[in-house]
Amino acid sequence: MTGDSAAGSTPNSISIQSAVKIYGSGADQHVALNGVDVTIERGQFVSIIGPSGCGKSTLLRMIAGLEEPDAGDVSVFGVTPERACVAKMIGLVPQTPALLPWLNVLKNVSMPAKINSAADRRRQRIDGHLQKAKPDMRDLLTKAGLGDAFNKLPAQLSGGMQQRTAIVRAFGVQPDVLLMDEPFSALDEFTREAIQGQLLDIWDEQNTTVVFVTHSVSEAVRLSDKVLVMSARPGRITAEVDITLPRPRSEAMLKTADFHHFEDIIRDHLQTSWQQNALPSVA
Amino acid sequence: MVLMNPTESAAVVDAPRAEQPLPVKKVGKLSPRLAFIKPSFWLPVVVLLVALGFLWNFVAKNNPYLLPPLSDVWGALAHNPSYYVSNAWSTLQVALIGLAIGFVAAYLIAILVSELPLAKRAIMPLAVVLNVTPLVAIAPALVIAFGFGPQPKLIVTALICFFPILINVSTGLRSVPSQVLQVFTTLHASRLEMLFHVRMPTALPYLFTALRIVFPLSIIGAVVAELSAPGAAEGLGTTISIAFSNSQLAVVYAAIFCLAVLGSALLAIITAIERRALHWHESMLDNKS
Repeated sequence: MTGDSAAGSTPNSISIQSAVKIYGSGADQHVALNGVDVTIERGQFVSIIGPSGCGKSTLLRMIAGLEEPDAGDVSVFGVTPERACVAKMIGLVPQTPALLPWLNVLKNVSMPAKINSAADRRRQRIDGHLQKAKPDMRDLLTKAGLGDAFNKLPAQLSGGMQQRTAIVRAFGVQPDVLLMDEPFSALDEFTREAIQGQLLDIWDEQNTTVVFVTHSVSEAVRLSDKVLVMSARPGRITAEVDITLPRPRSEAMLKTADFHHFEDIIRDHLQTSWQQNALPSVA
Repeated sequence: MVLMNPTESAAVVDAPRAEQPLPVKKVGKLSPRLAFIKPSFWLPVVVLLVALGFLWNFVAKNNPYLLPPLSDVWGALAHNPSYYVSNAWSTLQVALIGLAIGFVAAYLIAILVSELPLAKRAIMPLAVVLNVTPLVAIAPALVIAFGFGPQPKLIVTALICFFPILINVSTGLRSVPSQVLQVFTTLHASRLEMLFHVRMPTALPYLFTALRIVFPLSIIGAVVAELSAPGAAEGLGTTISIAFSNSQLAVVYAAIFCLAVLGSALLAIITAIERRALHWHESMLDNKS
């Protein structure tokens, strides 16, 4: 990567071009990502699905600037991931809520605004950036169903409420892109479906780009405009599926035939890539 | 089996519930704050103390050079209470000022060590050597160097408090969960913001673990220094060494009793502060439920 902007970058999309990531060296070498190309348009909800170890989290961390590709380019709306972080364009929701246990819910979600306060000015200088008003955190918390939990400590919340707090915190900086790494994997099925609905509501209103890593097929179908199917050893994208289901997508839609149709397509892709991987070891 | 219609089955299920009141949690359970009122709380330790007191007096009656009778110890205290109070105050001052010096030094070095790997490699081996060197052995050397004033006492106390704080705080500053670090890295938090908003609060439980060790230790440090400086004017350590040279066993034990009270009081204070400062921490929430 050279300069501030990566090759082939535009202000209207996140683009990853022939990205390679290798862990270890010599005999222990493990190719986490091998020539991955992705383009995510501004405003899209894109899920990445695949078996464990297919590099989906690595891909997400690469967009977040937490990992550097060994080859290839990553651009977040026309700038490098590092510069995107400096301008607070990225909101991260990790697998655990990662809240600060000594702060109550309201203070936790307000914390990002106190950090790196020069970012707002930096953000204005980036081409194509949409200036949006700072959301009212109390308002956003209430929309996420946390209206009576402002003053509660994280340890006093259920797992679902903690994860909703983490989501509101990420939305709070008005990021250009929200990166979510299996945020609901520790929740039970029922809570998970309820939170998916709340996430979609907030997303719809905030109009943010979301990249969502998951290993649940129904979750990917319900949330996404586009699903990227990945396969392991080496990690690569084997299919892109556009989910053309209408929005808003309620919980009732989970039972419809159209919904199952898309689930089947993705399952087929996952199985194909799984079998391709299994073959060499059988022979 | 005859199928019941829904209303009937509901009635069958509801009926017994309406008659039996919901089980009520036993009333009369004291809040944890008042639990010490109950005999089951204080009786065991009181019984043991009384038994030990009788044993002590029995031994003291037959071997007056081994232990002084408790009445003599009490007599020593009651005869001249201001003597003990002023000496205890002097020891306490040395202990707390020495502790404060050790705390500031250890905390600053802990930050340095946790932020700069190079500093860690330079400082930690020296800190470990300092820790394994018996301070009782260093104290006389400091008295020779600095005389009988407060300096050697403060240095010994600060040194004894230094290591537990350094080790615990430097570990605490480094124990931020990786996913929290990732969230703040994507926000491009500066090192200073990271330190104040994330690392230092994360290290707080570790700090209090150190303080609970170090508060009583500070008394030990002060007394060791006083014992090593026989010419020193005041302090319970000095009281002990003067009484020792006069073979006043009762006075020695009276001073030891004062030291035990002082140490317990400091421990109680730090525990109370900890309960306030760490009210958010799992260990505290656990006790509440």
